[in-house]
Amino acid sequence: MTTEELILSGQLELYVTGSLPPEEADEVEQAINKHPEVKREVEKIEATLLHLAKAVAPGTLPVRLWAYVTGAVRGVRGLDTTQTKATNWASMIGWAAAILCFGGIFWMLKQNNGLQDTIQYTTTQNTVLKEQKENAQNDLESANAMLSVLRSKDYNVYTLPGNQAVAPNAFAKVYYNKAEQIAYIDTNGLPEAPRDKVYQVWSLIMEPLTPSSVGLIEAVSEVENGIYRFENVPDPEAFGITLEPAGGSEGPTLSQLYTLGTVGQ
Amino acid sequence: MKQPNDLIIKMQDGDERAFSILYDNYSEALYGIIYSIVLNEDVAQEVLQDVFIKIWDNSKNYDINKGRFFTWILNIARNKAIDFTRSKANKNAKKNLEAANFVHILESNDNLENRTNGIGLKKLIDALKPACIKIIDLLYFKGFTQVDAATELDIPLGTLKTRNRNCINDLRGMVLN
Repeated sequence: MTTEELILSGQLELYVTGSLPPEEADEVEQAINKHPEVKREVEKIEATLLHLAKAVAPGTLPVRLWAYVTGAVRGVRGLDTTQTKATNWASMIGWAAAILCFGGIFWMLKQNNGLQDTIQYTTTQNTVLKEQKENAQNDLESANAMLSVLRSKDYNVYTLPGNQAVAPNAFAKVYYNKAEQIAYIDTNGLPEAPRDKVYQVWSLIMEPLTPSSVGLIEAVSEVENGIYRFENVPDPEAFGITLEPAGGSEGPTLSQLYTLGTVGQ
Repeated sequence: MKQPNDLIIKMQDGDERAFSILYDNYSEALYGIIYSIVLNEDVAQEVLQDVFIKIWDNSKNYDINKGRFFTWILNIARNKAIDFTRSKANKNAKKNLEAANFVHILESNDNLENRTNGIGLKKLIDALKPACIKIIDLLYFKGFTQVDAATELDIPLGTLKTRNRNCINDLRGMVLN
């Protein structure tokens, strides 16, 4: 195609309006670069079309339009104030919400942990109180049992006074059921036994003096604070309590006789 | 009209002054193109703003050795305007479909005679054959490809090309003298 033919073909007009497929536009481009007359022709077509489009514009453009465009492109080039402002609001609200949300979650977790702790503490407290209550009930029961013993007409009460030579202030009380041969010994009035010693209770027949061991004052026979229970106690004339080496003795060590009292009929 | 390549290169390097001169050279023509598609002055101005912002942002995409600068910005303008007519914000959808062509717009422009670039346009309009109006409207204002325009007008591609050439040539005789 000669340049003349190209100019007359109508390709150049379509080239300017952007109506050609890329291959044909490339061909026009090459012709433009090679032939100045083709370039001039394109420029004239373009000028005509520009003129036409301007005529179609429904009025002159307000100045603020250019101001808006420069404002926008400056924003883009620079700190992008309009855009960052817009996005900032959204993201700030987003972040604030997220932080609040996380804060809320952490707060609730903490609250929850606190409540769990409180529950655990309360549960422990409850157990402790329950135990205490049970203990108190047990105490009450045994105290009641003791009280019923003391009140019972089957039991006689005797006080064993302290041995002047060994322990003048000591005393012990004996509650004795003759029929069932049961004795309760209250040792509250005795000083505490040394570590390797133990109190031993004896029943005594006076004529002739015959001691027989009733038992040791030790945890096994304790029924209540300082009160010990013994069974199969033969009907004695007196009770005595001596301090013996741990484990007790065959016969009473009279030098360590703390209390001694007759059981009057 | 010679293409102001030096201004285009300066703009590509971030020169706002060069950009403002290019705006002065081309904004009104693009306004006309956009208006012929959206048919509303406020909308056309808004679209035009976006078009120039896009020209600035994408200026590096244009290569002065490949295609006319005017063709490049014409495409941006037509695409933005067409995007708008397809958007939900467009309340003139029906009106756009009725497709007032550029001559209707020219004729309805009351203060045409008062405007500098309006001089001689009455003559220009009168000179345009109806077939020319349709062809130019599709290819230039509506951005149809040559094949689509030929299909739309139901004429052979070769006929479309020569007729378009003759129509623009007619205009050219009046406008450029």
